[in-house]
Amino acid sequence: MRWLSYGPNALLFHFAERPSEAAFLKGRAIVRDLETNPAPGVVDFVPGFTSILILFSPALVPDPRRHALEWIARLKSATSASLPPPETRLVPVRYDGPDLERVAERAKLSVQQTIEAHSGAIYRVYTLGFAPGFAYLGDLDPRLHTPRLATPRPRVPAGSVGIGGEHTGVYPLETAGGWNLIGRTSLRLFDPDRAEASRDPRNAFLLKSGDRVRFVPQ
Amino acid sequence: MKTSANPNDVCYVVDPGMGAHLQDLGRPGLSRFGVPRGGPMDPHAAGWANQLLGNPPDSPVLELLLQGAKIAALRPVWAAVTGARANANVPLWRVVRMDADDMITFGASQSGVWTYIAIEGGFVDEPVLGSVATSPRVRLGRSLRRGAVIRAAADSRFSLPQGVAGRMAPSKEQRDYRNPPPLRVWPGPDWDAFPSTARSAFLHQPWTISSRSDRSGYRLEGKPLPSTPKPGLSEPVLIGTVQVPEDGRPIVTLNDGPTVGGYPRLALVDQADLPWLTQCRSGQTVRFQGTA
Repeated sequence: MRWLSYGPNALLFHFAERPSEAAFLKGRAIVRDLETNPAPGVVDFVPGFTSILILFSPALVPDPRRHALEWIARLKSATSASLPPPETRLVPVRYDGPDLERVAERAKLSVQQTIEAHSGAIYRVYTLGFAPGFAYLGDLDPRLHTPRLATPRPRVPAGSVGIGGEHTGVYPLETAGGWNLIGRTSLRLFDPDRAEASRDPRNAFLLKSGDRVRFVPQ
Repeated sequence: MKTSANPNDVCYVVDPGMGAHLQDLGRPGLSRFGVPRGGPMDPHAAGWANQLLGNPPDSPVLELLLQGAKIAALRPVWAAVTGARANANVPLWRVVRMDADDMITFGASQSGVWTYIAIEGGFVDEPVLGSVATSPRVRLGRSLRRGAVIRAAADSRFSLPQGVAGRMAPSKEQRDYRNPPPLRVWPGPDWDAFPSTARSAFLHQPWTISSRSDRSGYRLEGKPLPSTPKPGLSEPVLIGTVQVPEDGRPIVTLNDGPTVGGYPRLALVDQADLPWLTQCRSGQTVRFQGTA
């Protein structure tokens, strides 16, 4: 496992060379470990596709580099063996997005085949980012890989299902966005009221790193 | 406007100017869900506004963009205004007394971008994910529009002795944003992926703040960096990271920006120097300096 300093207060650990089922399970095990056994002095952590960032409190951990080797030992020993299997979330989708036909044409598929290709796979939530609850899902059928729009739309409605490069995902709230929109779900991926009701911010997010997702055509 | 319905109603937004939002220290610890930390763009100035009044550092303050705001008091209250200069009708960086119907007004912007108003005990609002901080891009918090009423904490009234009246920040803390020092940068995770020509060009040329800059990120204009590495998978991005898209024009990711990104991460602006950057207006230039 490689590690790097990311400024004076953060360490970045690379746990995989490229995204894969093994990388996904490793990332999930690390996140579970950090959530279940919070380490003193850690103020935030962020998994990416192949790396995890750990941000330290400068007051409690003045020089995180000195602890890099301990952290590598800890992250290496994180294993998914004892974890329950990942949850599979079903996301109902109406495939009627404004870019669906263009995505199909580019893939040299009919619209129906495109819908079948997109909804036929079980995706992995590798990471969340861009906006609260925005999950980067892989691995997308290579035929559906579609470059992001050259000019992002200023407003993409909440629930829009899109394709950005080699990933697919759902916009949890109305934001600007450059992904190709192929459909829409009525499911609320980000609902802060659920967090307030339970006093646990994690409950605001329907999808979490380590989950699996399947899209169900409506 | 003169009769206040709730005894905790403390201020009234007569005019939000170019933007008025409440900020506390934001939502740290939720980056893995895609929630940006948010919070004040200039924690130095916001921190002084609170400190002058003896407030805890996480007390919500009012963050104003550039110019034009008019904020009225609904009852007597101690306040402090810090940060960007925009022809305010009260002195900055010191405690001021407001009586009912007094109004703090801002005219044309002079220097800096972000101005802060704190009141004794802090403002309050309904928290979302544990914070009242406003991140407009991701629709967290609320924009304060004309006519909005802001509340004070219930027990804050008259909690300060009269002696606070003259309290002011030391002059060296009253920053002049027209002349930022060189900003210290750390190597980013992808520093080694950039050719030395690009790293050297980044550190040795002046960069101009683009008008396409906001709470999510400031874009830098200058001679584009040569041979920028290709974008890759989405990996974690810290606030203050200098990311470089393929066009070679750096973007500094800021408080409301994405928590992961695919552009190579060239450098990280030191947290202590970041407020100097965020207080730069479009057209102002900055230089970077490597940390030893």
